[in-house]
Amino acid sequence: MILYYSIPHKLEEIIPFEENERIYYAVPFDIDDKGNWIKDSYLVVTTKKIHVYDGEKITNTIEINRCSKAKAEAKVGGGILVVTTEGEDTVVVHYSAKHLSRYAYIARGINILISGRFEEVESSEYEKICPKCGRAIPGTKNCPKCSKEGGFIKDFLKMAKPYKKDFFYVFFLMVMAAVTTLLNPEIQKHLINDVLKGNGGMKQALVLILIMFSLSVGIVIVNILKSNASTRLGAKISADLRYALFKKYQELPLAFINDRRPGELLNRITSDTTYVREFMEDVFCNLFAVLFIFIWDVLFMMILNIKLALLTFIFVPIVVVMILAFRRTVSRIFHLQWRKLDDVSSDLQDVISGMRVVKTYGREAAESARFKALSDDFSETQRRNETFWAIFNPIIAFFMGMGSVIVVYFGGLDVFSDKMSAGELYQFITYTLLLFQYINWMSWLPRELSQLTSSLERINDILQQDVNAKDEKDLTDIDIKGEIKFDHATFGYKSYQPVLEDINAVIKPGEMIGIVGASGTGKSTLINLLMGLYEIDDGNLLIDGIDIRNINRKSYHSQLGVVLQETFLFSGTIIDNIRFSKPEATYEEIVRAAKTANAHDFICNTPDGYNTYVGEKGYSLSGGERQRIAIARAILTNPKFLILDEATASLDTESEYMIQKALERLTEGKTTFAIAHRLSTLKKANRIMVIDGHNIAEIGTHENLLENKGIYYNLYKAQIG
Amino acid sequence: MAENDSLNIYEKEAEEMTALKKITAENKFERTSGGFINLTFEGVTYERVKVVRLFPFTDANKFISIRQNNDKAKEIGIIEDLDELNKETKEMLEEQLRLNYFTPVIEKIYNIKDEYGYAYFHVKTDKGECKFAINMASNAVTKLSDSRLIIADLDENRFEIRDVNALTQKERRKLDLFL
Repeated sequence: MILYYSIPHKLEEIIPFEENERIYYAVPFDIDDKGNWIKDSYLVVTTKKIHVYDGEKITNTIEINRCSKAKAEAKVGGGILVVTTEGEDTVVVHYSAKHLSRYAYIARGINILISGRFEEVESSEYEKICPKCGRAIPGTKNCPKCSKEGGFIKDFLKMAKPYKKDFFYVFFLMVMAAVTTLLNPEIQKHLINDVLKGNGGMKQALVLILIMFSLSVGIVIVNILKSNASTRLGAKISADLRYALFKKYQELPLAFINDRRPGELLNRITSDTTYVREFMEDVFCNLFAVLFIFIWDVLFMMILNIKLALLTFIFVPIVVVMILAFRRTVSRIFHLQWRKLDDVSSDLQDVISGMRVVKTYGREAAESARFKALSDDFSETQRRNETFWAIFNPIIAFFMGMGSVIVVYFGGLDVFSDKMSAGELYQFITYTLLLFQYINWMSWLPRELSQLTSSLERINDILQQDVNAKDEKDLTDIDIKGEIKFDHATFGYKSYQPVLEDINAVIKPGEMIGIVGASGTGKSTLINLLMGLYEIDDGNLLIDGIDIRNINRKSYHSQLGVVLQETFLFSGTIIDNIRFSKPEATYEEIVRAAKTANAHDFICNTPDGYNTYVGEKGYSLSGGERQRIAIARAILTNPKFLILDEATASLDTESEYMIQKALERLTEGKTTFAIAHRLSTLKKANRIMVIDGHNIAEIGTHENLLENKGIYYNLYKAQIG
Repeated sequence: MAENDSLNIYEKEAEEMTALKKITAENKFERTSGGFINLTFEGVTYERVKVVRLFPFTDANKFISIRQNNDKAKEIGIIEDLDELNKETKEMLEEQLRLNYFTPVIEKIYNIKDEYGYAYFHVKTDKGECKFAINMASNAVTKLSDSRLIIADLDENRFEIRDVNALTQKERRKLDLFL
């Protein structure tokens, strides 16, 4: 994301620079005092000052050393930059949602300058609209249209490189297809001129027919081979890309995954790779053949009869325009139809999943009426569209045929005046038909190519991400004893928004720490850091005195047990899910683990026992049952270090008791972090850590904290009385 | 005694949340030099209050909630109808609403171009002329009613079309794709 736009000369000239002063950030803002759009207006932050430029003059200047804080406040459809000077908040600029995250960085940059440091803030977020051409960027770093490096061809060649052999085979078949297609009319000419009009005998006719027959068979065979080869190639490429993407997703830091919508990441694996395959199958396999045929087709036509050829070519632009216009309308009206269908199905889904509510409020009739209206609307649109299609499709076909009518007329005149032979005319007509057929095909090309470009861009965007993986050699294996030390640890998911600041604590081996605090204060974040899912920004997190960044992840995670509030089970059987943490576990180990987790009995009561299929995400089990399976999963590895995130929340009292018991068995003598809203579940905790305001507000034993009469005291009183 | 105190704090808070207090013309709003407003209500002065629309789409000027400026943003009171206040106060509040809400209303559609999954709008709004792009595959267009639309662009700016039927036939055809 750009934080330093190139500013107009006029503005550059009027900024009064002092010595050692230079511009740090320059970003546009797009809303004026009256709340109207404004153009060419910038906020400029220098080493010492903040200037507001309205397009003509500097309207406001704030000295940074007078400020105590800068904040980018998000509002509905926009935001404002607010600075605090001498305790007074002042609106500096107002901007639309376009610049929301940009100003979050600027505010952070100003705050750094206020604190007397001179680091510059950089943003790794991508622009959504290309600043050069104004087109939307499909989730990639560079605009596919504007990226200089001849993007597409390079990307395509890079993708194709490992499949060189297959590509050459397809290419060879394409040339064969072109040759056989073009040869056929030539033979037909000879048949007409030499045999039918000339004095050729039966023998010659048979030879020619035989050649024509073998050419036709040849075309069919070449085409079959060609489609086969390119389908295979496409499937191979897309399977390899899918695998490469999946592997990359697992290597990428969680921060990258969290920055993107899950659907989008899913799409890159499914839709984008599918598109590459379809392109290979439908477009690429014909691409060169068509171009090849097209060029020769045009050449042959001109050689045969230049006047007639030029006459036909006049028709080409007309037909192209018509095809494009028709296609535009068709895609428009069918997009409309698709949207209406979407309305119908989403309404249907809404009502069916909310059936109980509809019935209890007696709204069946009203809902039916609404559905009928939507459904009628859809069917009316559908009817209109089909009518349009039925009328205009033949008309287009007719116009495309018009070219050959003209050829027949003028060519016929030429034949009568002996300027052309009948065979040549026949050959010419065939070439004309081919010409229009391929023009139709080629008019799809720009669209297909651009879609492929976007898909390749999106795929490469992921594949080219740097994973700053540490060298295996620098990492140590660990045998966890359980001492954990936070040393000035600071972390935020977004660089400009710290969630935990300056956390300091030492946890002794075997201690159980209860973590409490209001939602959104960073409890789960603390646990994410302990799980090694994110790396802390500043400070250290030491496990048994070793920096967590230098510990081999595999050895660390194999000794870590985690039970979360929302238990995630993979679709599969109970045994698969328990075994997930330790695939080589024996039946006995699994049954023991399940017994310790109080899961054995309910498992026995299912008809399929441990082989019971749990359904997608385990939804065929109750929350308590899922939780106990997760505990069994954690027990199986005999972890040295345990993390429980609200493991017993949202359970009924009986299952809570069972799980509490199971957890007690599990946590005995092990370093444990447990988040809980219900303080009663933390009775066994050695110490309680209260997180508030991005920091550890209180830490100590239950009794200590009650004596302190702080946050914990208030929470405890409110819950237990 | 102390135990009861903290219990009472929560109880009182919960109780207070249920009260619906009305702010009328008599309550004093003041501009701050930084472009915000303070409110004096029931003898207490609240600095830099937040001004929130409760029905931004259906009745933008009715039921305006005035809230404290802190993380909890507790409600101070509700203004039932902005138009019933005196001119000066109304202006002050409208200024704040302008800062808090930016939803340009589309008055005229010059052009809509769709290209490879994105649609590019060039429109005239009540805030001036502008261009924006939407993703056609996502649900960028929300129907508030049969004729009223909210369009969210790629940056999550929101544009409103008050009445589709007030547009010309030509403009409607351009918009057809999204209706």
